[in-house]
Amino acid sequence: MKKKTENYSKSKIMGIDVVLLIILVFLALQVVIPLVHVIAMSFSTQKEYLDTPLLLVPVRPTLDAYRALFADGRIWIGYRSTLTLVLLGVPVNMLLTTTLAYALSRGNFPGRKALMYLIVFTMLFQGGIIPLYLIMKTYKLIDSFWSCVFATGINTFYMILMMNYFSGIPIALVESARIEGAGEWRILGQIVLPLSLPILATVGLYYVSDRWNEWYNPMIFINSTGKTVLQLVLRNIVNDTKQAEDFVYEGMKELPFTSGVKMAAVVMTMLPVMCVFPFLQKYFIKGMRVGAVKG
Amino acid sequence: MEGQGRFRRLWNVIVKYRAIYFLLLPGLIWYLMFAIAPLSGLQLAFKTYKANLGIFGSPFTGWANFRRVFHDVNFWNAIRQTLLINVVRLIVTFPFPILMAILFNEMRFHKVKNPLQVVFTLPHFLSWVIIASIFNNLLSFDGFVNNIIASLGLERVKIVGSTSAFMPLLYYTDIWRTAGWNTIVYLAAITDIEMEQYEAAEIDGATRFQMITHVTIPSIRGTIIIMFILATGNIMTAGFNQVFNMSNAAVRSVAETLDMYIYRITFQAAPDFGFSMAITLFRSVINMLLLLVADRGSKMMGGNGLFSMNQSA
Repeated sequence: MKKKTENYSKSKIMGIDVVLLIILVFLALQVVIPLVHVIAMSFSTQKEYLDTPLLLVPVRPTLDAYRALFADGRIWIGYRSTLTLVLLGVPVNMLLTTTLAYALSRGNFPGRKALMYLIVFTMLFQGGIIPLYLIMKTYKLIDSFWSCVFATGINTFYMILMMNYFSGIPIALVESARIEGAGEWRILGQIVLPLSLPILATVGLYYVSDRWNEWYNPMIFINSTGKTVLQLVLRNIVNDTKQAEDFVYEGMKELPFTSGVKMAAVVMTMLPVMCVFPFLQKYFIKGMRVGAVKG
Repeated sequence: MEGQGRFRRLWNVIVKYRAIYFLLLPGLIWYLMFAIAPLSGLQLAFKTYKANLGIFGSPFTGWANFRRVFHDVNFWNAIRQTLLINVVRLIVTFPFPILMAILFNEMRFHKVKNPLQVVFTLPHFLSWVIIASIFNNLLSFDGFVNNIIASLGLERVKIVGSTSAFMPLLYYTDIWRTAGWNTIVYLAAITDIEMEQYEAAEIDGATRFQMITHVTIPSIRGTIIIMFILATGNIMTAGFNQVFNMSNAAVRSVAETLDMYIYRITFQAAPDFGFSMAITLFRSVINMLLLLVADRGSKMMGGNGLFSMNQSA
């Protein structure tokens, strides 16, 4: 390893560093404040929202918006659908991506080049949504989660990321195993995969996050209201013109705050990402660094 | 006899690599079924689609769909709007992660670096549905931003639904979502700069600003150029998810990019698949050419290109 630049910035702190810190914190606040405001809105009453122009922390927090949201019920349909999509989709993604990436990383077997050209061609030339819709109709997958699962079965960028990682595993390890008589399966299962846990974690997280955020394919391919995914539920709730009177639930004391209900839906949709991301951030970043463009 | 020998050799090859062929089979089948097979639908660009006759049975009409496309005013407007939005987007948003990476690298309060990076990279994992919901609320007439404006004693301004604010809004939210994430690429490049270069500059009496302009920036120049070329490859398609979620009927005149136009005419009440397909095919061909040029360009600059297939990273 080369001596890294990080040492360079370990020298003494100057006035300019304070300025830099202030600039960076100012930028960070532009990310944080909108999120905090949205969360605060979801916990406040309409009165408090109107009385506090710059609402960041509700003084008298209330769960009324969440009660109205849960009573409305669409959010649960969204959670169910999106969890179904994640649980069906990510294993399929990982299986297809890992097997293909491993096969392609194992040297020059006949046909590899042709397959590469085929894969690159699919990246370069894309037919858009109509041909995909028509083919899903042919396969009779319309209105089934499997249409979305297979529409994005392999993300070619992630596949290449994984393939490059597999190729980077020292060939000596693989060769010595082969001399000892290990077949391709044992090499994959006992040498390559255990050494590749970081990239498997990274790509797995990318797939989970993509599935969680998926809305376009579900919007086109799935039309039963009972199968609406979370992102589309959020879209519907935020865009619908429901008035406070429509959000009525049992035991309600006053009419819910409509914007608060909408923001509660936003919070519910981003909650898993916000809870999980800070702890797994290094895995997310690793993929970006491994795949980083070399100048 | 010779033919038989060839088959035998082929068979031997397959037997030798059988485990590999078996492993790539699921992926290959997926590509054939879900990436290649759909392309058969592209023939609709040359046909008039009749649902009862199917893709293959629909009558062939030659270039008629394309003639209609090229005489369509909305099509040319959409092309113009796509290029306008995405060229300005490139100019406005591209430098941001580079600046952030340099600031981040220079900043010497190491304890705050990790929390800051969490904050900057998080938005990348929020969908455009979420981000649009947040900003449409924040920037509404009686929303947070207008509350600040009003508390400063100024007039409230219409931001959401205003055609003149729409493009700036796209760029702001684009930076909001992606700048922190893209910073990682440049930070990785900066980390690769050798310490000796800074030490040498320090001995020569360089100020910190001079070190940035004479060591840091020249060292990551290659990465910057490659990132720029790659971004130009997406100029026809960038931003569909964003525009789709951020726009509404009031701003259609400035929000109708090519992909938005294709979406609107495809999923309207009486869709004309032949016409939509002709535009899609045109778009796909142009996009492929752009990507090929970008790929070639980045390779000329010594990068991996778009499809770094044989390097170990």
